[in-house]
Amino acid sequence: MTSLDPAGPSRRSFLKTAALAGVVAAAPLPLLSACGASGGGSGSGPIRIGVLTPLSGPWTIFGKAHLAGFQLATDQINAKGGTLGRKWELVVADSKTDSTVVTQQANRLAKQENVDFFAGTFTSAERNAAAPVVTAADKLLLYPTFYEGQNQDFYPGVCNPNIFMFGSEPSGQVYPFLEYMLNKHGKRFFLAGSDYVWPRETNRLVKAKLAELGGEVVGEAYAPIGTAQFGGLIEKIRNADTDVLFLSVVGSDSVAMRQQLLSSGLKDSLTVWSVGNEESSTSGIGPAASAGDYASFDYFWALDNPKNVEFKRAMTKKFPGTIMNNVGVDMYNAAHMAALAIEKAGSVETAKMRAGLEDLVFEDAPQGKVTMRAEDHQAALPSFLAKVREGWTGVDDMFEIVQSVDQVVPSDSTCAKLPLRRP
Amino acid sequence: MDSFSQVILDGATGTLILALVALGLAVIFGLGGVLNLGHGAMLTLGAYVTWACQMHGVPFIACVPIAAVVVGVIGLLFELAVVRHFYDRPFETLLITYAFYLIATQVIQIVWGRAVHNIPNPLPGNVTIAGASTRVYTIVVCGVCIALLSLTWLVMYRTSVGTRLRAMLQNREMASLLGIDASRTYSAIFATGAALAGLAGALISPLFSASPDMGSLWLVRSFFVVIAGGLGALVGGTLLGSAVISGGTDVFSLFTSQVFAQTVVFALAILILRVRPEGLLRKVPAR
Amino acid sequence: MSFKVEVSHETASRKVVRARRPRRGNTEDLLATVLFAVLFAVPSVGDSYQVFILPQYMLFGVLAMSLCLVWGLGGILSFGQGAFFLIGAYALGILSTRVSGSLGVWLGIAVGIALSAAVAGALAYFLFRARVRGSYFVLVTLAISTIGGVIATSASDLTGGFNGMFISRVQLTVSGWGVDLASDSTSYYFVLALTIGVYVMLRWLSRSAFGRVLVGIRENEERAEALGYDVALRKTLAFSLSAAIAAMAGAIYGTEAGFVSPSLADVVFSTSIVLWVAIGGRDFFLGGLVGALAISLVSEKLNSAIPEYWQLLLGVLFLAVVIGFRRGIVGSAILAIDRVGDRR
Repeated sequence: MTSLDPAGPSRRSFLKTAALAGVVAAAPLPLLSACGASGGGSGSGPIRIGVLTPLSGPWTIFGKAHLAGFQLATDQINAKGGTLGRKWELVVADSKTDSTVVTQQANRLAKQENVDFFAGTFTSAERNAAAPVVTAADKLLLYPTFYEGQNQDFYPGVCNPNIFMFGSEPSGQVYPFLEYMLNKHGKRFFLAGSDYVWPRETNRLVKAKLAELGGEVVGEAYAPIGTAQFGGLIEKIRNADTDVLFLSVVGSDSVAMRQQLLSSGLKDSLTVWSVGNEESSTSGIGPAASAGDYASFDYFWALDNPKNVEFKRAMTKKFPGTIMNNVGVDMYNAAHMAALAIEKAGSVETAKMRAGLEDLVFEDAPQGKVTMRAEDHQAALPSFLAKVREGWTGVDDMFEIVQSVDQVVPSDSTCAKLPLRRP
Repeated sequence: MDSFSQVILDGATGTLILALVALGLAVIFGLGGVLNLGHGAMLTLGAYVTWACQMHGVPFIACVPIAAVVVGVIGLLFELAVVRHFYDRPFETLLITYAFYLIATQVIQIVWGRAVHNIPNPLPGNVTIAGASTRVYTIVVCGVCIALLSLTWLVMYRTSVGTRLRAMLQNREMASLLGIDASRTYSAIFATGAALAGLAGALISPLFSASPDMGSLWLVRSFFVVIAGGLGALVGGTLLGSAVISGGTDVFSLFTSQVFAQTVVFALAILILRVRPEGLLRKVPAR
Repeated sequence: MSFKVEVSHETASRKVVRARRPRRGNTEDLLATVLFAVLFAVPSVGDSYQVFILPQYMLFGVLAMSLCLVWGLGGILSFGQGAFFLIGAYALGILSTRVSGSLGVWLGIAVGIALSAAVAGALAYFLFRARVRGSYFVLVTLAISTIGGVIATSASDLTGGFNGMFISRVQLTVSGWGVDLASDSTSYYFVLALTIGVYVMLRWLSRSAFGRVLVGIRENEERAEALGYDVALRKTLAFSLSAAIAAMAGAIYGTEAGFVSPSLADVVFSTSIVLWVAIGGRDFFLGGLVGALAISLVSEKLNSAIPEYWQLLLGVLFLAVVIGFRRGIVGSAILAIDRVGDRR
């Protein structure tokens, strides 16, 4: 196999080296054999859930809320004895904000940890990366983030019978408020986003709807993830004589973008509407660069209803200091709805759980009523438009709700095969 | 021509801010010969120290020097404990400073959490110059950058310390014959570079906020500044390199996509390196 | 520890190493044989996840060996290997979906390798001719990574951009005969054979005339030049070959993992390749291979056991190794074994 020196070493030294070599080469073995899997699909052990969450890398700021939401719900479920008499056990994996790692970790959770189902992944790119794995393992994935909707069969993470969407898509997050923004702040929209599927697809849908409503798209631009300088983009926005800047720049990039928008002096002459900056990234942007701007999501910490007050109390008690956002809350809802589905189906088996989730209604969500549409696994959620208060001091006084819709029926998905069923 | 003057102003402020960020890297690389992969972590550390210091009620203006000193001391300790044994092996110093990056970034997250922290702008308000607008604070940061670059130039070319440093750069053995304590000098260089990184991190924190990964975003750009600016020509090189990288990206992105602009500018930096391996300003090879 | 003592220590150890060259080679090959035997046995004792994931780590190992070739042998540190890995993966992904049948697969692999080798060759020759070297070349390779990542992110029509690209498991067949990588165990043995092949090829290369000249250039570039060698050309060839190996590993990785994204070209991934090789030992191909395998395995375990602290631990370990075992863990082990052998 390997090319040895033709002369060859002496027999004695060969044995010696071989023995030592064995020790060195065998070192990785314990790593291979460590970590036995327990639990599993059936039986009476705990129900194991694989949670994929960005605990390191650029999206760690969202990972905390993401995980905390699911953990809080899990604690509440376990406090009531779990589901079907079985406790929930979370197996958390760090996605490192890297879709490649998501593929790898999802495989580990499926093949080695034998999880019963998955929850999490943060961006659409991460969901897409996990999709082939959950399909191959035939496990469900509960996806919490606002996303681009299911209009392109191309990606494995959309129109996938094993994935359930607990976050809103553009027809829920954006459409209800377009008319309000047009009438109040002007017809000239500039669409600027980070360069990946969610901003591009969201803007495509927004453009179509704007045309319907008589708005005008005066510009569209995308910045690669990791951009620090937005000078050129801001000039384009200025030259287009923009009324409303519709922003889908995400993560730390959005912090830089909005800080630079403020320093360019352009902020005062237009209205910013962000569909990516929730409580945690707005905290990073700061009061000066965010004052008076709009954001729209299916949940805000500022919501004043008894369910949310109760949720906030529980969250603050369990994870003090965690900045909660819509993604964390949708993780929370996903856990509770999965628990209801398991009880309803009497099993954690994928097919039964899928049937249990379909058409499930969850009345106790912090934002109101959540219904899981059977046909395309899309949640129907409330939707809110909020304005950032001047001189806010923290998440409690950051957003002021200006418009709200109790439940938006999302646009129909355009998947090739509906309803989503496993072939 | 509002737009034109705005481009000029944004280009100028962008250049100066990048120069400020890259200066610490240029000092350690140009004078110490160490490619400091930990530079990004030092920036981040500076921003977080500033944030933590403000949380304790210390005014921003006092937090900035505190951040510089704290990061400088950390840099000094790191140099004394580890880096100093490796000056003759540049690849090893690169690996060691990368280890510093890994460790520091993680410690920052463990100590201060992963949230993006906003540092309030100490000088709110905008200023208009020839029809172009920017933040008052941005102008102040640019002023500090100009002051620092001038100071660096003065130290390098108008003081005996600078003469010795330049002597050491030219010929290490000759310098030691002249009684220059190379070991101490290197410690001082590393600590100064670290302090400059901390200072830059502190100063830019109100502009970009503090997040655990802010450093890696700036690190690559700073490296390109060093590529374009070249070794040795500390002040002029850093300034020119920043102008190429920052101004170039901004100007190109006016005509084309941001992505293409970035690629063109990076390619340009490589081209500069080919044509003038020792930097745009340097005529005589350093070795 | 003063500067001068260090230098003389270095020179002395180099002399010793050279004097012992044949024996050192044997030790490395023996250890490699043991490693390959262990890897060969894994599918019969390990679980399905190990059979799924180890081929990917072995391909990281091949990638690491490609870095050993330029860094260990040629003294050229590259942060650009990730970009070549990425080119290989994308080329296979793009061509295997657009050109049907086994032709698309072979074309994908060939184009990836050829493109990487050409890009690396052109850039390296362009710069080495101008005597750009040392830390400056490191910066250029960092630029290659960054540009590679930026292009992969922005050419979304071709690469899927930030969303990444999905590659199904391919069949490597010639007129009906060949391997179908769809099965985890088939692809496991295929990747193992590939890894062994690359190792053997690189070991042979390092002992060939070309390898010896490369070492000569690493030790003293001016002297090699004075002896009449075309230094720039040889360095270019080494860099280009290393890029080709990285691209080949990337192509197979793409189909093994089923997914590639621009993150493979970013600074973090490219620096981790350097980290594997440094910890394993850059002077030995086995060092790179073991470094990649072991660190990937350890990282993964720490990632699941203590997700928030794993990177800190990795950093501390890395620092300790760079300070404590300058030849890397495997390199130190090989030298220690030789020393024990000598004493008896």
